[in-house]
Amino acid sequence: MKDLYLVFKNLTRKPLRLFLTVFATFIAFMIFGTLGAFQQALNSGVELSADDRLVTINKINFTQPLPIAYVNRIRALDDIESATHLNWFGGYYQEARNQMGMFAVDPETFLVVYDELLMTDEEKTLWLGNRQGLIAGESIAANFGWKVGDRVPVNSNIFSQRDGSTVWDFDVVAIYTGEDEQTDTNSVYFHYEYFNETQSFGGDNIGFVGIKTDDPSKNESVIKAVDDMFVNSSAETETVPEKAFNKAFLDQIGNLGLILTSVILAAFFVILVIVGNSMILSIRERTGEIGVMKTLGFTSSRIFRMVLSESLLLALLGGTLGIVASGALAEAVNQAPIQLPTLVIGQSIWVQALLFMIGLGLITGIVPATNALRLNIITALSRD
Amino acid sequence: MADDILYDLKNISKKFVKGKETITVFDDLNMSIARGDFLAIMGPSGSGKTTLLNMLGGVDQPSSGEVHFDGKRVDTLSETQLAAWRANNIGFIFQFYNLMPMLNAQRNVELPLLLTRLGSAQRKKSVAAALELVSLSDRAKHMPKEMSGGQQQRVAIARALVSDPKLLLCDEPTGDLDRQTADEILSMLQLLNRDYGKTIVMVTHDPAAAKYAKRTLHLDKGEFVEKDLAA
Amino acid sequence: MTGFFSQIWTVIKMNVLSLPQRLWMSLAAVFAVSVVVAVLLAFLAMATGFEETLAGTGADDVAIITRTGSQSEVNSVLSRNTVNLVSTSPGIATNGDGSAVYSAEVYVIVDGIKRSTQNEANIPLRGLSPDGVDLRSSVSMTEGRMFEAGRNEIIVGAGVQRAFEGFEVGQQIRFGKTVWDIVGVFSTGGSAFESELWADAPTVQGQFQRGSSFQTVRVRLSQPGNVEPIREYIANDPQLILDVDTEAGFFASQGKALSGIAIFGWTLSVVMGLGALAGALNTMYTSVASRVREIATLRAIGFNNSSAFFGTLAESLVLSIIGGVLGALFAWLFFDGFSASTLGAGFTQVVFTFELTPALFVNGIVMAVIIGMVGGLFPAWRAARVPVVSAFQGGE
Repeated sequence: MKDLYLVFKNLTRKPLRLFLTVFATFIAFMIFGTLGAFQQALNSGVELSADDRLVTINKINFTQPLPIAYVNRIRALDDIESATHLNWFGGYYQEARNQMGMFAVDPETFLVVYDELLMTDEEKTLWLGNRQGLIAGESIAANFGWKVGDRVPVNSNIFSQRDGSTVWDFDVVAIYTGEDEQTDTNSVYFHYEYFNETQSFGGDNIGFVGIKTDDPSKNESVIKAVDDMFVNSSAETETVPEKAFNKAFLDQIGNLGLILTSVILAAFFVILVIVGNSMILSIRERTGEIGVMKTLGFTSSRIFRMVLSESLLLALLGGTLGIVASGALAEAVNQAPIQLPTLVIGQSIWVQALLFMIGLGLITGIVPATNALRLNIITALSRD
Repeated sequence: MADDILYDLKNISKKFVKGKETITVFDDLNMSIARGDFLAIMGPSGSGKTTLLNMLGGVDQPSSGEVHFDGKRVDTLSETQLAAWRANNIGFIFQFYNLMPMLNAQRNVELPLLLTRLGSAQRKKSVAAALELVSLSDRAKHMPKEMSGGQQQRVAIARALVSDPKLLLCDEPTGDLDRQTADEILSMLQLLNRDYGKTIVMVTHDPAAAKYAKRTLHLDKGEFVEKDLAA
Repeated sequence: MTGFFSQIWTVIKMNVLSLPQRLWMSLAAVFAVSVVVAVLLAFLAMATGFEETLAGTGADDVAIITRTGSQSEVNSVLSRNTVNLVSTSPGIATNGDGSAVYSAEVYVIVDGIKRSTQNEANIPLRGLSPDGVDLRSSVSMTEGRMFEAGRNEIIVGAGVQRAFEGFEVGQQIRFGKTVWDIVGVFSTGGSAFESELWADAPTVQGQFQRGSSFQTVRVRLSQPGNVEPIREYIANDPQLILDVDTEAGFFASQGKALSGIAIFGWTLSVVMGLGALAGALNTMYTSVASRVREIATLRAIGFNNSSAFFGTLAESLVLSIIGGVLGALFAWLFFDGFSASTLGAGFTQVVFTFELTPALFVNGIVMAVIIGMVGGLFPAWRAARVPVVSAFQGGE
């Protein structure tokens, strides 16, 4: 575009105003980038759920136990590749506030059903062979400074050993990574056998069953088969796709998505008003000049495009800086020793942000551009 | 004799630095203004007439020389002292009136009185008198934008007069007005000078306007060329 | 120094009077500040509401006894034997007949459909012993009647009824295989107990295969706030592996769960406040630029430059305070009393209402004033330095 130089000169003629409007845009997009990444990370548990995985829980509530015998009865059903069981352990390391997602599992079937957790075959064998072996996600291991080969004491806030102690000793045998960047690596898994033999109450119960079906299309028939099998038993079950289970769990915390979306919208709305006003003002100040340009032979539509380009450029400038800053911020959060999901400023955020930038540029530019378009030369030049 | 002199400028020089160049506006300028004078200063643009007016108003300072007003040196006063000095001694009339757009005529005229110790009743009386003098009593409650240019300038004159300053400084007071209105305004200044004894200095480039003054000084390249053009 | 303050006052009045001339620019600044304040107050009201709800839950003259290290009621397990032992501890108030005032309680988690998400969420079902209701202050039945011992009857907390579907009096509800009659609704004046379902302890034990185990014991202290005799008694009996705390202390620590929300709210609104500050600066610089001739004229008339300074600062403050008040008003209209629920420390839904206290309101106004102050300061400095000769320059 030939007029880009003029557009650029117009944009930079008042450096202070340029700085202030770019800064305001920058803030809005930094908020968008960071909160957007946070929202995505929260949803990643839902998004990354395997389509062929089901969760069977006690119909009363998922905190109510199921008899361990259920697992073998489920495995015997058709269209099931594997089924495994998990117990919430209520584990924490050293201090009560260092809570973690810690489960007692049956390692062999666990590794089949939850195959997105990556370890070497060697590590898998090591875990299967060590009854006190524990595997930790890379994120939680980094938080606590655990390394393979460490022997770590872990407390439970639910269970106690037969001698009354609430401390269990574990060997860290592997640190797993996730298949996806946002796969949860804040969890810890250990042998159910070790748990069941040492804890003092509620033996031979499990928390829930994880089922891997042969194919997602079989999910519905499996769900029906499992729940029908236990109807009218002492512990009725409720089987749901993993995605639905994770979604419901997230919803328990509250409508976080709505809160984050509202905040982002509020930030954008503020910036829209600030930048829009500033654009209208700066075009009004240039009324005389625009009149002169029109007398020189610049067409109205060309001036219209120039004003729009100016507001677009402004939005792109502030917006890009904002998203870059949110990338740096996300990196800092990821490095910090807090149990937060991994924040990623990825392609989808960039695409959304670019759309918002273009939208912001067009909306803030349209009024002043139209004013410039309609400007009559005589009135423009006679204004003092 | 000295008592008749209101303003005395001695050996004034004024230099601006613009980029690498030093521009000399005045070099060793001398002038005095007698009480009761009505002086018009004319000259082409760049002659230094605006700078001179600014200096007379205490808005601009000479680079060297002495300025005496009413027997006292004013070029050495501080910003704050100058503001107070202006409030007591000088009334300004501008080319573009410079009324406060959000205040009505009465409130605009009252502004300089807010710098005095006068009570509100007294202020009201003075404002009414000043508006009476410029024949705008009926417009007291009007906003600037509801008045013509001539009316606005009369409000500005009332504002300049209301605190009874010793000197009225007019910067192209009719520059923005048509001939007939300009004549009205100039007659009014003349009347103020003749009947009320106000000392007036008026900068203008309009010879017709200058005719209303008692005497006219022509300024060219920072120097006076005196011609008596008074009728 | 004639009327130093009256000069300033005059200029302030003029600036404020002239605001309508810069209407859109001024509205932009007001709007930006109001959104920032509204966002801040919404988050603070959320955190405060949650904290107040839990702080109001615990009594000082009631002690709660849990298994050591369990941290929340749901994680604790106590046998009948433990309950019997601990209820004979000194420091517990007695009934007229000399028996200890205590309630051994069963705490199980059941599902309900949350209205806001239409998904299943955790509700605590509490089985109470006969003294249980008396151990809570200000329990009142707002509808129906109390449950009867030995029957599958439950009463529903007012908060549960607000946040969940299907808990009307007269309805039946199924938990697994068992069916329960809803016979009443109770209120405890806004405390977290209102987020619970209550029934008879032995009935809950029976229907949920809990045998004779309980989760917690609550006792009336003979001396409010003093749990030492009980603590000592537990320490001296190796069979008892228990924690004891006043109920007030127990719940106060749980109320801190949402303090992170307040920090998030502050961080967010400070960042947004920086954006609003940019808007305010823009507005005020524009205002000064459009008033250059006015400012210079006043100076020519004899006004001092502090009046230009304070006039500009006041204009900025007026705009931001209007914004702050509007934002606070918005937050008050839309968020105060807003009912929400979240997963509390007990792994169950705590129903609470947002609370916009006067102290929070002050926070919002302080935020607005800071934005107005900083946003006005630099432009005011520029206004004070407007050269008087500008009054003589024509045009814009």
